[in-house]
Amino acid sequence: MSSTLTLGKALNEGLRKALENDPKVLIMGEDVGRLGGVFRVTDGLQKDFGEDRVIDTPLAESAIVGTAVGLAIRGFRPVCEIQFDGFVFPAFDQIVTQVAKMHYRSAGNVKLPITIRIPFGGGIGAVEHHSESPESYFCHTPGLKVVACSNAVDAYWMIQQAIESDDPIVFFEPKRRYWDKADVDPSATPKSLWDAEVVRSGSDVTLITYGPSVKVCLEAAAAAETEGRDIEVVDLRSLSPIDWDTVLTSVRKTQRAIVVSEAPVYASLASEVAARISEKCFYELESPVLRVCGFSTPYPTSRIEEDYLPDLDRILDAVDRTLAF
Amino acid sequence: MPQSVQPSEGPELVQLLTPEGERVEHPDYSIDLTDDEYRGLYRDLVLVRRIDTEATALQRQGELGLWASLLGQEAAQVGAGRALTGNDFAFPTYREHGVAYCKGVDPVTLLGLFRGVNQGGWNPHDKGFQLYTIVIGSQTLHATGYAMGLQRDGADGAVMAFFGDGASSQGDVNEAFVWSSVFQAPVVFFCQNNQWAISEPLERQSRIPLYERAKGFGFPGVRVDGNDVLAVLAVARAALERAREGSGPTLIEAYTYRMGPHTTSDDPTRYRLAAELETWKLKDPIERMKAYLSRTGIADHDFIEQVDKDADELAAHIRAGCLALDDPDPLTLFDNVYAGGSSLLDEEREQLAAYLSSFEGAHS
Amino acid sequence: MPTFKDFKLPDLGEGLTEGEILKWLVSPGDEVKLNQPIVEVETAKAAVEIPSPYAGLVTTLHHGEGDTVDVGSPIITFDVDPGGAATDGGVAAPAQTKVAAAADMVPQISETQIPHEPGLVGGPAPKAGTEEKIEVLVGSGPKSGKLTRRPRKQVAGAVVSSVQRPPAPAPQPARVSAAAVGAHAEQVVGEVHVLAKPPVRKLARDLGVDLRLLTGTGPQGTITRADVEAASNGAAAEPAAAAAAPSRTIDFDPATREQRIPIKGVRKQMAAAMVASAYSAPHVTIFTTIDVTAAMEFVDRLRANREFADVRISPLLVVAKALLVAVRRNPLVNSTWDDAAQEIVVKDYVNLGIAAATPRGLLVPNIKSAESLSLLELARELNQLVATARDGKTPPADMANGTITITNVGVFGMDNGTPILNPGESAILCFGAVRDMPWVHEGQLAVRKVTQLSLSFDHRIVDGQLGSQFLADIAALLNDPALFAAWS
Repeated sequence: MSSTLTLGKALNEGLRKALENDPKVLIMGEDVGRLGGVFRVTDGLQKDFGEDRVIDTPLAESAIVGTAVGLAIRGFRPVCEIQFDGFVFPAFDQIVTQVAKMHYRSAGNVKLPITIRIPFGGGIGAVEHHSESPESYFCHTPGLKVVACSNAVDAYWMIQQAIESDDPIVFFEPKRRYWDKADVDPSATPKSLWDAEVVRSGSDVTLITYGPSVKVCLEAAAAAETEGRDIEVVDLRSLSPIDWDTVLTSVRKTQRAIVVSEAPVYASLASEVAARISEKCFYELESPVLRVCGFSTPYPTSRIEEDYLPDLDRILDAVDRTLAF
Repeated sequence: MPQSVQPSEGPELVQLLTPEGERVEHPDYSIDLTDDEYRGLYRDLVLVRRIDTEATALQRQGELGLWASLLGQEAAQVGAGRALTGNDFAFPTYREHGVAYCKGVDPVTLLGLFRGVNQGGWNPHDKGFQLYTIVIGSQTLHATGYAMGLQRDGADGAVMAFFGDGASSQGDVNEAFVWSSVFQAPVVFFCQNNQWAISEPLERQSRIPLYERAKGFGFPGVRVDGNDVLAVLAVARAALERAREGSGPTLIEAYTYRMGPHTTSDDPTRYRLAAELETWKLKDPIERMKAYLSRTGIADHDFIEQVDKDADELAAHIRAGCLALDDPDPLTLFDNVYAGGSSLLDEEREQLAAYLSSFEGAHS
Repeated sequence: MPTFKDFKLPDLGEGLTEGEILKWLVSPGDEVKLNQPIVEVETAKAAVEIPSPYAGLVTTLHHGEGDTVDVGSPIITFDVDPGGAATDGGVAAPAQTKVAAAADMVPQISETQIPHEPGLVGGPAPKAGTEEKIEVLVGSGPKSGKLTRRPRKQVAGAVVSSVQRPPAPAPQPARVSAAAVGAHAEQVVGEVHVLAKPPVRKLARDLGVDLRLLTGTGPQGTITRADVEAASNGAAAEPAAAAAAPSRTIDFDPATREQRIPIKGVRKQMAAAMVASAYSAPHVTIFTTIDVTAAMEFVDRLRANREFADVRISPLLVVAKALLVAVRRNPLVNSTWDDAAQEIVVKDYVNLGIAAATPRGLLVPNIKSAESLSLLELARELNQLVATARDGKTPPADMANGTITITNVGVFGMDNGTPILNPGESAILCFGAVRDMPWVHEGQLAVRKVTQLSLSFDHRIVDGQLGSQFLADIAALLNDPALFAAWS
């Protein structure tokens, strides 16, 4: 039985399910309990599951993740919330030095099934540090898995799957999509957490993207249709590991690839995708892989953020350029 | 040349055994041990020192790349280690070989990290002793989290987080103090103040005695003579009991001295005076125990000799174990990155395997 | 029976590559205990005491105090079993620099193999590049890098074994099977169209070759540079690709009584060009019949002329020259209809195309700036053009940018035709057979050499008057070659 849920509400429902299914699941972060989270993603959970399981923490990101490590060693499944992307950096050391490496350095003896939820991305007219896209740092860290939902259906399932995974997962939520709605059917069989999805089929160009940019790519593809162009859109969903089968199958079909994401282009995840496609599809590519990303600057002030973010026009400009080769 | 802070300047330094080996009383802490227990502690001290000196020798002989010596800190570690019971979990730094010994971790397994053949050779869950944490202070948060887990499990047990004077400046340690106090977590913070953080003296880490910092976070702090195994044992037991009964954290500052270098690659003569070492030699933790046991007759000459023999045996075990630690197969570098595996890594492993077997002399 | 063990100077954890013996604490003949200090060694900053790795008798000290010793070389020998029987091995020799470095998975070249350079101080020379001792607080320190390659196995055939997957990131060395290189192996996931590397694609574009028509001869069916060049030159790269020349013999399939010839290569391109031209420019063709007896005599005289001895002279030469002169008098016929720019581009240069029947099919190579050539040069160019075309070797550049064309149906014995414009051009002259015909010459019936000329033109640019004028000029020149002089 489906219901129409916003992405934020779908996460809420997914978290609720996770708390119900496994008594070892804990939620912890700043303002997640009584307030229900600054985006209301954890709304109502503390009331139903108690302060010991939905924990309002002191204002210390490093400790949110560091204590989660200890809790995980003790056998719990902590779900940490970092309130905003730009505030993950105090916890960065605990994430990349401790969380990422523990399974490896303990020869598999110490598992850390920690989920670290981070709202990310821009386009909400915010002040500084609230519109970052730090996913590349975490994708670059072996030992972590990184996923990003783009819509309410994925959000509902992926958060549960991430919590169930025995690996530490950095879970990115596109904050400007928190209010986007979709029909969520809890009785459906979900895709694997690690699968990419062809969200729009096409034959001329493949757009590879994730998170907040998926919707923009779909809108661009719809607009391109009126120009007689048939664009395929692939939602990566899992950023590390990437489902290369789906990506490469698509690129071999269309022979033209464009990677779209908000994060600054230099040394980004988009660059890894471009490099690997170029290596694996060398003979099939009609044009070089293009990247439509944020510029290599700090995130700009909100009045000009629309010029910074990849939007419909910039994506279609890249489509023009790739087709002109 | 900077000097270390002298204990006589501070108040309260819990001591039950003087450097000369005399038993003294303290109003808040006492210890009541059987003769066997006293002898056991002495043996622990000697064996722990021997682990350390043997490992140092092995490093000087090229068998270990590095060793972090605990010379001089035996009493602090044995006192704390023997206070821990079966349900308690310890989170060390990288120098707590004495605590490892007390928790039943085979000293040979400590060597792998320093030899470069693994990154931690024991299973933390087996012995309640986490792998060494080299990033300073991070483990205090892990310890706090573990303690919060004990609370949620309603389990009997406490956590001890080990760190040094230098670590007390780290953000993570201070965050751990905040969290453990607001959540009243069952964790004991055991700080071995050995006066030096590589070349930085204590005064570079704090303007007040370290144990007094706990008050600022809302929990008790106590300074103990770190070279007095009896006092450390008493104070540690009390703090762990406090934690277990739900009264929250305690900060123990074990006042001791790092007799050796920071690690075998360090040269302390560049930043501290030989005279300081001489002063601390007079406070040796083993000598005072030996003096006490001899004077009281709790231990006789035969016992002392036997302990030395046990130490030789342990040393031989460590030496043999060290030399037997083989380099890992290069392909194992892909193991255990993820609990759930990775097809990308499988691919990389295959590529490396193919590459390595393409060389002359390689097995295909 | 004595068992001798060497102890080599270890890396003391500071990136040490050598050390100076400061002081021996034992002497030959001394009995030493395990871990007993035996020597003091000077490192970068301090003296380090080294404890004995063995218990036994000191046999030999290999260096004196003050000597600088390489890490890894023996400094002392012990007899670990001075009195007893041969041991069963005892304590293993300490592995020297055996501390594993995670990044280093291949055997180290031992320190002593690195060539030395003479140093300024006494004793063994310092190794090249080790003047600076690197202090490393946290491990055994940096190792010197490899200086030579580790030898690879020689492989005869396609060994690269388990590589059934996408190509490895590092290219295999040339010795290892060529098939493995670019082993674009594997289950190709997904539908594949054209397989060609970017440089090959660019070459194809430059040469005007359609990759989709080719079958590649590279690994996994990829199209190679050679494939493209072959297609461009018309050499038989592939039997299947020889759609060029129409076959004289037809191979009918007995079952269907039909033969299916693939539409590929030159034929396909030429067809496309013709269609493009025919359906974009409104063609009008006009005809004239002329007495070219004088022109043919002119051809004979040229043949006899010593200056023209090394060139083959044909009537085509004179027709070409006549056309060039006529173009100068009627420049608008040498132009292009640029629809995109909505402009007619009139050209001063005449890239004169000559339609040629070649083994690959009909091609139209052109002579660049033919208007600037002397008759002799023009003759030579024509010869060259025809010879090259006949060999099937016309380069693509020769076929690009033509401005006006002559097609000769006379060689087939035809009188005239309605030629189709070469795309991008506005006029094409068709030149028929020269026959002896009855003609009215100076008021009398005579047998004269007569031919027909037809001119197709793009009626958007050239109107009937201009076209007629242009053709009339050519006709006049051929009728009376003296006009070449009058009109130059």
